[in-house]
Amino acid sequence: MEKRVHAAAIWLLMLLHGAAFAQGERTRDKMYQPIVGAGCFRRLNGTHQTGCSSTHAGSVGVLHLINVEADLEFLLASPPSPPYAPMIPPHLFTRRNLLRLIEAGPSNISVVLLINKPEKMKQFSHELNCPNQYSSLNNSETCDASNPATSWNPWGTGLLHEDFPFPIYYIADTEEISKLEKCFLKFNNFNYETHALRSLCAIEVKSFMSAAVSSEVCIRRTRFINNLSGSKYCDPLEGRNVYATVYPRNVSSVEAEETELAITSEKFILVTCRLDTASMFDGVGLGAMDSLVGLSILTQVAHLLRELLPPQSSLPDNRRNVLFVTFNGESYDYIGSQRFVYDVERFAFPKSSARRNLITFDNIEFMLDIGTLDDIANIKLHALSGTPLAQKLLQQLNNYAQSPRYGFNLNIQSEMSYHIPPTSAQSFLRRDPKFPALILNAKPANKYYHSIYDDADNVVFNYGNTSQDFTLLPDVGDTKNFKADSLQMKVRNVSSIVAMALYETLTGKEYTGSKVANPVLADEFFYCFLLSADCPLFKAASYPGSPKGLPMPPMRYVSVLGGPQESSGWTYRVLGYLLSQKQPKIPKDNCTILPLHYFAGFNGVGECRLTTQNYSSALSPAFLIDDYDWRSGNYSTWTESTWSLFSARIFLRPSNVHQVTTLSVGIVVLIVSFCVVYIISSRSEVLFEDLPASNAALFG
Amino acid sequence: MTLPEFFGCTFIAFGPPFALFVFTIANDPLRIIILIAAAFFWLLSLLLSSLLWFAMIPLRDVLAFGVFFSVVFQECFRYIIYRILRSTEQGLQAVAEDTRVTDNKHILSYVSGLGFGIISGMFALVNVLADMSGPGTMGLQSGTELFFVTSAAQALSIILLHTFWSVIFFNACDTNNYLHIAYVVGSHLFVSLLTLLNASELYTATLLTNYIITILTGLLAFRVAGGTSRSFKKFVTCQ
Repeated sequence: MEKRVHAAAIWLLMLLHGAAFAQGERTRDKMYQPIVGAGCFRRLNGTHQTGCSSTHAGSVGVLHLINVEADLEFLLASPPSPPYAPMIPPHLFTRRNLLRLIEAGPSNISVVLLINKPEKMKQFSHELNCPNQYSSLNNSETCDASNPATSWNPWGTGLLHEDFPFPIYYIADTEEISKLEKCFLKFNNFNYETHALRSLCAIEVKSFMSAAVSSEVCIRRTRFINNLSGSKYCDPLEGRNVYATVYPRNVSSVEAEETELAITSEKFILVTCRLDTASMFDGVGLGAMDSLVGLSILTQVAHLLRELLPPQSSLPDNRRNVLFVTFNGESYDYIGSQRFVYDVERFAFPKSSARRNLITFDNIEFMLDIGTLDDIANIKLHALSGTPLAQKLLQQLNNYAQSPRYGFNLNIQSEMSYHIPPTSAQSFLRRDPKFPALILNAKPANKYYHSIYDDADNVVFNYGNTSQDFTLLPDVGDTKNFKADSLQMKVRNVSSIVAMALYETLTGKEYTGSKVANPVLADEFFYCFLLSADCPLFKAASYPGSPKGLPMPPMRYVSVLGGPQESSGWTYRVLGYLLSQKQPKIPKDNCTILPLHYFAGFNGVGECRLTTQNYSSALSPAFLIDDYDWRSGNYSTWTESTWSLFSARIFLRPSNVHQVTTLSVGIVVLIVSFCVVYIISSRSEVLFEDLPASNAALFG
Repeated sequence: MTLPEFFGCTFIAFGPPFALFVFTIANDPLRIIILIAAAFFWLLSLLLSSLLWFAMIPLRDVLAFGVFFSVVFQECFRYIIYRILRSTEQGLQAVAEDTRVTDNKHILSYVSGLGFGIISGMFALVNVLADMSGPGTMGLQSGTELFFVTSAAQALSIILLHTFWSVIFFNACDTNNYLHIAYVVGSHLFVSLLTLLNASELYTATLLTNYIITILTGLLAFRVAGGTSRSFKKFVTCQ
């Protein structure tokens, strides 16, 4: 009896134990763990597809951590339980290794994970050696991919233009990486020979791309009359250029819509730069050095000219003006500048809704294009041929760059040849090699060109957070506590030089003042675009009391129609704010119709300003022309595939042995139970003998 | 769970009930109707238990509470279906083509028990199956690979147990054998609470106990339905 009580007590204890620990929990949550990251996606041009896609149901691979190059050999030499998903740190994410993984085939390598462990990384650029080679000047001297000394991106691997048969997933967060590593160590990283016999930690990446082959094919399929569901396979890369003038232009009368009437004798100096950047992964990539430095210099030059120049009427030639244009989509075969050239050629710029007189090529005096300025000690002024205009501007630039009064101590060299950097000016020179385009560009020194690592660290940006008024111009000696070799001071110096040279060109007089560009403005500008859109500069350039920017940098990829377009939106506001004139007499209520716009201003109290900025479309002309020949290479043909989701999760992949065992046990149970039940039911009268006679055939 | 695992588990859990259905139920429309009716009554009991669980907000996380009342409701509905079947016996006799159903009362209890069991096993397993679409198996954060097979075996034992319980229960109600009724309710409660131990992955302990009880209950049901050791001997030796 006592034993029974004991047994009952033990059972009771166990039940209580179970009751305390048993909680309702979804089985799925115990099996899968989501992994947050960014996916590589597919882009197409007129002839090819590039990027990656998973299989339709999602690609599954067994995790394998690659620490040294030799670890890859295990995966490439008939691994025991394929397919695998190597986790590769950036210093091993090289062209050679990736091509070997492609060669191993999707049956061996199904997913590639790039993990954010940049300690050993020396370089990381997957753009071509010659960016935008096929939409630049067709000349071997412009860029030679085989010769790193003269190519524009010597560290480029060109992987951005490869087509991968597996998805590539970038995992930036260290917590997510440690999840993966833990799982790999716990389940996979021992006894490699028995991989086939046990359950292994695996990852599933879903990033199926609906477009395939080329832009031509996917646009045709989207427009196909049988496409009744209306599904889209791809969208053209599309964004907005932002332009503004230093002097406001007259509003054209409504009647003057005839082109002949609208053409004027205005003269514009075009100052341009690139607005966008590119990277392999969706939503990551700031393009700090490859394009943001140029944009910051353009903004500073614009602001400085706005503050320094006398009224337009007092210029020696009062028809002169400066037109600042930031082109979008330049990373993808100069979408923005090609469209600009296309529009200007067809008398369609600015668009009629802007209600300004047309600008034609005859109105453009010359173009100063700000390219990539990786190393400001090595800036060169490029032009196709050594015209007097180029000589004069070079001499003006150097006059200020070397002047002891300002102490910039820079020397700007010149190169008058076909060795032209891959900047927006290429689109203009391609139309007309005689076009007066001058390009400021430094010797390439960016080892992270067009990559996820071209960030604040790459340009050595430390936020000063001075809280000072960035709209005031300081004296040249006032460095606002920024070190001489800081990014802020470099930008200040270059933009001051450019602005002073343009000042001299416009006024015909040498600049003798002591005011220079404000390093605080550069500081705030980089903070907004590299660290957080919730920042003083963006706040000042918005309507008072408008919602704050997100606490993350704006996305600078050109994207597609309906994309976020954050970067062009903020550039529009910032250029609008910095290039506008304060109208203290106009009250807030009357300040509603453009060009009048109400800004919060530095203090946030609000001020009415006369603005000049506007958008123009940055959609490649290839998508406007009927029956465009996609293979002609005249215009950018880049499209982006559509996709439904990016997701990744880790789990245990059962071994084949386990699956086969389960299935066989199930089949055996099924067959045995059929036999047993049949025998019992056919002979039930024997088994249940106590039944009445009529019930003998119980189970008949 | 992968496709082979899915079929393996399904065959384990539903292979034997399917065989029973094919050979003993499918050829008689009346039995099918009773099977479905029993399943419906089990669903009603599930509805009531879930309503109670839903209403008792502070006790939602205490699974033992829900399990206890679920068992109580199931046994109540077993009694209700017993009353209904007994009160409709006359009508059944009139419509039945095959009079064995009404002549042997154990057939009715067996059929309704199987209906109870199948639907209960389905609900036990389908919840697990529904979460299993995808390429993974159990064991990443906790649990073992054997989770699915265990669940399937558990579901099978519950299906068989329900069949046996109904046979015993109906007979006990007919003969006022309160000991048997107490055994049915008690073992049902015990088996259900036992599954809570699965949370601590004591699969061998729970499954083993479970199947011991299943066999014992099966033997009792065999006795109740008129089987003896002598008849079993005759059956085995093919006399």
